[in-house]
Amino acid sequence: MATTVTFSQEIGNLLHAAGGTPVSACMQCGTCSGTCPVGDFMDVRPQRLIRMIDAGFKDKVMATRAFWYCASCYQCTVRCPRGIDIAELMYGLKRYTIWKNQYPEDLIGPAFSETFVKNIVRTGRSYEPVLATSYFFTLGLKEMLSEAQNATMLMLKGRLPVLPARIKRLENFKRMIKRIIPIGD
Amino acid sequence: MSEQKQLLIIDDDPDFAEGIKSILVKAKYKVDMAHNPKDGWAALEKNKYDLLLLDVMMGRGAEGIMIARKLGKDAKFRELPVLIITSIREQMAFLFPGGAVHPNFVDVDELIEKPVEPKLLLDKVSALIKSSEAKKKK
Amino acid sequence: MTKKTFAYFPGCSLEKMAESYHLSTVEIARVMGMELKELEDWNCCGATAYFHVDELLAHTLCARNLAMAEKEGLDLVAPCSGCYKNMHACNAHLKKDHDLADHINFALEEDNLRYDGKIKVHHLIEVFSEDLKEVKAKATNPLTGLKVAPYYGCQILRPRKFEHENVEEPRYFEDLMTAIGATPVDFLLRLRCCGAALIITNRQAALSMVRNLLQNALDSGADVIATACPLCQVNLECYQDQVNAEFGTKYSVPVFYFTQLMGLSMGIPAKRLGIGTEFLSPPAAMLAACRKAAAV
Ligand code: SF4
Ligand code: SF4
Ligand code: SF4
Ligand code: SF4
Repeated sequence: MATTVTFSQEIGNLLHAAGGTPVSACMQCGTCSGTCPVGDFMDVRPQRLIRMIDAGFKDKVMATRAFWYCASCYQCTVRCPRGIDIAELMYGLKRYTIWKNQYPEDLIGPAFSETFVKNIVRTGRSYEPVLATSYFFTLGLKEMLSEAQNATMLMLKGRLPVLPARIKRLENFKRMIKRIIPIGD
Repeated sequence: MSEQKQLLIIDDDPDFAEGIKSILVKAKYKVDMAHNPKDGWAALEKNKYDLLLLDVMMGRGAEGIMIARKLGKDAKFRELPVLIITSIREQMAFLFPGGAVHPNFVDVDELIEKPVEPKLLLDKVSALIKSSEAKKKK
Repeated sequence: MTKKTFAYFPGCSLEKMAESYHLSTVEIARVMGMELKELEDWNCCGATAYFHVDELLAHTLCARNLAMAEKEGLDLVAPCSGCYKNMHACNAHLKKDHDLADHINFALEEDNLRYDGKIKVHHLIEVFSEDLKEVKAKATNPLTGLKVAPYYGCQILRPRKFEHENVEEPRYFEDLMTAIGATPVDFLLRLRCCGAALIITNRQAALSMVRNLLQNALDSGADVIATACPLCQVNLECYQDQVNAEFGTKYSVPVFYFTQLMGLSMGIPAKRLGIGTEFLSPPAAMLAACRKAAAV
């Protein structure tokens, strides 16, 4: 259905609290792409992603992997001459594609967030071994071996906890979270 | 019939909001739209509405809940009936199982889940407006 | 001089994975006459790149820690750059956005807490580098001849662009290293992200980012990389094998916490600084300092 809201405005709505300049202010100088340490591994570099948003290619943007590969290092944000908060935009797009259930299925990022968040909500703390092992199955055999090797090494050096740590007032903590994400049991 | 009722939709999904709006307009309501919490609040301050249709997941997270709470705390807005339209369960299902919780922040409100059936929507809207008017008369 | 007291937020990584960072921090704080009171019942701040998927939730988690520190009447210190960035940013948001603060406080009620925006959040390295004179005076076992690549990483500086902080040309890490008698080298990529957040989600990218950093540290003539973040440390040190396997390289660059180096310079025995739990052994100049510290 046709609407009067452009995709670039839609993104502006998503980031209404972020305080950066709207993406339409981009002058395509390329600083963000040039400075991004992950640029070589992105399917679409930041500068082009912003152009695509501005041009209203919603479906294409939502299907992009680039923002899942963003390391949130804020290099682009700090250097953008137009004051566009590109790193926040990347976060926003992660969130938006999860809400709309529109990310490529083979991505590890969304599943990784899920485990991490569930873990914290359950215990109040993050528990690295659980996190790592639940990811073994997503890695190839070679990576799996090297990950296991690392875990063993950390274990031998006494650097991995044996039991997940929990916070003490866990019940309060869980109720606190329910006030922010209103979902029942 | 009394004068035309004026409604506000706050929803970040322009297509969805547009869809709901056309259903409501056909039923002779006057409808405004806002697509983020900030603009939504500004509209509430500026105009007088008979009902608010409110989305939950917007902007930074469940900001619809923030708005509902803010309305409930304000004597000026407490009586505004609110229909919360959410797909929070679907959106956050990967975090938590379970259904959406009805927050009950304002005097008259209801929660329905997306996708919304036109008839159900219209029934709820008119029922909410009626019950809030009944309350006001008391 | 009045004793400085801070609420200390160790963060999940320091519980075990980066215990040496914790141990060495406690040791040097004692020497520096600084009290670090561990925040009671703190919770994870949700620093990984993915937690921003729900920003309100992320703010709530951070705010709970801030509120507990405020209750103690203390500023908060975090040794993990990820935690620091999150809580620093959350603090700024809560101070500025009253609607947000009100809503988050509504959630905090469930734990009988409330945050009024009265405290500051510091990174651990900030509080030590504020008093270089004192550091110098305490460094009785200077790390002479040790060439250090000071690795800032990313979250420690960015994105605080608007707080008249020098995010592009910081010097405090270098100055701190000089104060303990070591020689900071010109480490070109010192502000470049190491990709820790990507190690699981995009391994290729992360390993290549680590490789670039290691190569640049070697090119700059460093014996050791110093870090101020457990995530940077683990990413740079523990993945060198994988980098070598992936790229056919032979890196073996030691990576230590700045607190371990400071501790050594203060004559604290290596064991108490958690030296010995690393994958890659210390370089000669550090070993010499270890021997001297043991002799004291
Ligand atoms: S740095 Fe800013 S202005 Fe330049 S291309 Fe990137 S977003 Fe556009
Ligand atoms: S924040 Fe993301 S997009 Fe920006 S430079 Fe860093 S990795 Fe690249
Ligand atoms: S961000 Fe990492 S280190 Fe900081 S508290 Fe959370 S899991 Fe722990
Ligand atoms: S340098 Fe690496 S570990 Fe350190 S803060 Fe940046 S991404 Fe995280």
